[in-house]
Amino acid sequence: MKIDKSKIIRVVLALGILHFAYLFGAYAQETPPAPAAPKSVRIPAVLEKKLANNLTVAVIERKTVPLVTIQLVVKSGAETEKVEKAGLANLTASLLTKGTKTRTATDIAEQIEFLGGSINSGAGWNNTAISITITSDKLEQALAIMSDVVLYPNFEQKEIDLLKTQTLDGLTYNLKQPGFLANYVASAYSFGEHPASGTPASINLIKRENITEFHQKNFQPQNSVLIFTGDIVATKANALAKQYFGKWENKSKNNPTVFKNVGKKNQEAKRILVVDLPNSGQAAVNYTKNLQGVPRIKQNLFFSATVLNSLLGGGYSSRLNQEIRIKRGLSYGAGSSFAWRVGYSNFGTRTQTKNESAAEVAELVLAEVNKLADGSIAESELMPRKSVLTGSFGRNLETTQGLAAAVADLYSFGLPTSELNSYMNNVQTVSDQQIKNFAAANLMGGDIVIVGDYAKFKDDLAKRFPNLKIKVIKADEVDLSKENLRK
Amino acid sequence: MRKFIVILLLLVFILTSVAALFGQTKISPLNIKERTLKNGLRVVSLQDNASPTVAIHVWYDVGGKNDPEGRSGFAHMFEHMMFKSTKNMPNEKMDRLTEDVGGFNNASTADDFTNYYEVVPSNYLETLLWAESDRMVNLNVDETNFASEREVVKEEFRQSVLAQPYGRLYEFINSLSFQTHPYKRGVIGNLDELSAATTKDANEFYKLFYRPDNAVLIVVGDFEQAQFDAWTNKYFGRIASIKTKIPRVTVSEPERIAEKRFLQTAPNVPFPAVAITYFAPTSKSADAPALRIAETILSGGESSRLYQELVYKQQIAQEASFNADIRVDKGLLYFLSIASEGKSAAELEKSLLSELNKIQNSLVTANELQKAKNQLIARKLRELETNDGKAIAIERAVAFQGDPKTVNTDIQKLQAVTASDVQRVMKKYFTDKNRMVIYYQQEVGVNSK
Repeated sequence: MKIDKSKIIRVVLALGILHFAYLFGAYAQETPPAPAAPKSVRIPAVLEKKLANNLTVAVIERKTVPLVTIQLVVKSGAETEKVEKAGLANLTASLLTKGTKTRTATDIAEQIEFLGGSINSGAGWNNTAISITITSDKLEQALAIMSDVVLYPNFEQKEIDLLKTQTLDGLTYNLKQPGFLANYVASAYSFGEHPASGTPASINLIKRENITEFHQKNFQPQNSVLIFTGDIVATKANALAKQYFGKWENKSKNNPTVFKNVGKKNQEAKRILVVDLPNSGQAAVNYTKNLQGVPRIKQNLFFSATVLNSLLGGGYSSRLNQEIRIKRGLSYGAGSSFAWRVGYSNFGTRTQTKNESAAEVAELVLAEVNKLADGSIAESELMPRKSVLTGSFGRNLETTQGLAAAVADLYSFGLPTSELNSYMNNVQTVSDQQIKNFAAANLMGGDIVIVGDYAKFKDDLAKRFPNLKIKVIKADEVDLSKENLRK
Repeated sequence: MRKFIVILLLLVFILTSVAALFGQTKISPLNIKERTLKNGLRVVSLQDNASPTVAIHVWYDVGGKNDPEGRSGFAHMFEHMMFKSTKNMPNEKMDRLTEDVGGFNNASTADDFTNYYEVVPSNYLETLLWAESDRMVNLNVDETNFASEREVVKEEFRQSVLAQPYGRLYEFINSLSFQTHPYKRGVIGNLDELSAATTKDANEFYKLFYRPDNAVLIVVGDFEQAQFDAWTNKYFGRIASIKTKIPRVTVSEPERIAEKRFLQTAPNVPFPAVAITYFAPTSKSADAPALRIAETILSGGESSRLYQELVYKQQIAQEASFNADIRVDKGLLYFLSIASEGKSAAELEKSLLSELNKIQNSLVTANELQKAKNQLIARKLRELETNDGKAIAIERAVAFQGDPKTVNTDIQKLQAVTASDVQRVMKKYFTDKNRMVIYYQQEVGVNSK
């Protein structure tokens, strides 16, 4: 850009005078006008029915925009796969849309995209979900496609081969990113799990028969919930559900009993794991802990943890972001989260910083985690952090997709849908003492996991943590299937 | 002559109405109100009382292209300062007024503009109008905040550019595509020029660009129009008019005269990639809707041409996209593809150019054209689900068309695009001499895969 510099300065001087006159001439310091009285948020009711084949149909009617989200949730995910076949649930879910007895992969993409929608399918730890958001006039056509991919996938070998190659390429790409790699190693090292995306070794081992078996066993109407949210009435949704999923048969008499991963035994001492990624643009610094005895369904623990997380690392003004970004400029952002499981949960903090400050950031993170157990929590700090939760809860329910996701989450854990209405109150009743107790009982003794250019923080790390053992693995030697995580 | 045009317009109208009967979901127009205060601030509002929230956007006509000379990344870094103290608010007061009451706020800097926005429970609307008006004129820029926020922005640069395998490629797309236009610097800038920035720069920049006649206030959601207008008058109306001229970027990028090619390397790049760029028309160009349709046909979803050809059939790419990055001055139309294991950038380039030839040499099918339109209409409907989404759509109309009302006419323009329009624009802009090609791969000798 070419602008005469002296001209800028003249303009600035003129403006400066105006500005000055305005500031001191017009008014003295002000306080913000107070808010008006708050209005209540309406949480829509979930209308539930069961089809003859025991498929649960859940509907939330909302007619503001002519859109509908359809989501089918199968209550089995990566937790039901063996570690040596990690990624099986996700491959199976992704392959649903890659061909059925009557439609090729290209037909499916072509047809759903012609309707202006897209079909997404994938597996998380606890469940598998297939969803479509579509304008309400196209609902029936979209549902016909969804029913076809869920009931009649053909898992063609050439589609399996392509998806495996794509997944392997994707992993190669992601494993060059410090943030991804940190979560990847923590899944085994700290949580006793495996990555739901799979590992290069496990993806290679998955065969067609594993996929068809996974589908047979888990994709049953008695193990699934079909959710409609948006511009549709419940009677019509139920009729459509019967028309398109009524013929879906259960393969077993009872719900599938499957192997479920159980996480890791609590460890006592803090440990440090470094994954050395030379020339990495930044270091990822995580603190991770598996929480046995803290499952999603224990509501008192869930809400204590949820408010604790908002205080520590949920949202811009949480403590971690205050200390690491706002006060010290050490990162673009720092946060934390709980990953909920049926029988336990995993806690993790995350941030990225320049390699040179990795050890300093690790120290700051630890101090904040410890402070939850020994420090005080003022009501003036706690109240706004609860508002962050209730506000974002309400905003997430504004879209048909957000509504469907919230309902799917509750069904996956076998929780009543009435929680949509009690969530805000449950958040409000958590006390500072409950948070402190939770932190003291559950968050101490976790792992520090750092992925970055080790040479740049090696000395500082040893100096700041003289009493902790530091285990180092080279990034290209990481192998999660081995006990010591090394090839 | 005049009558003839009217008849043509009627025909178009009838045809689109028929389309609406055959499965086109109708998007009701947004009933927006628009006015300009005496000090030049444009105010656009849309009352919608369906949910008790309100979205407030303040859009400033200043972006990365307005970075001072030698200060790449400055407009963006300045955007971070807008969350620090003002005459009436301590540091991070905006977070207290939004996040702490169950709302959120953020801001973003693009090549052409900067926007600040928040969504709050609607009973806080007056409070936020006061706060936005305050930071429009009363910002303090102090050394401590400036130094600390500069470090944050450097970390942002490291996170989005250095720590991502293909982060540097996006920077190369700008720096190698443009010769003279400031778009060449990219919005995030570079570490050296961020280090060189001073608080004096910040104060000058603020006074030059942050003023009512360089801003548009967009508010969507739960309010009463008369009450909103009164608050706007009270808090924004009192800001003094400024008579001086706002500096604008006037430099124009020369046309390309011959194809250029580059080879760029970086650490931790697992697969080769290729980017092929062409200059786009300006955002107000009548060709923009046809380019948007072409973008969707080439690159919108798994049924798109590039996915089907490069990813699915040939299996040479893990990603293949075409992007119509149309900007206010002159943006870019570019292909971007990342190779599959064992495939080369040259193979990607060959296939991408072959797809380009196809769309230039034969008409897209009626089915492809309709599918692209359906996809774009559905995307817009999904965007209009929330107050914030509506505000974003209005803001885009302001930014790229200079007129918020075009939020209600952009779909008609897409509907009117024909197969021969698509062919015409693909021939017009995608010439051999308008082409720039970047091969991007792992640097040799360092940490090779």
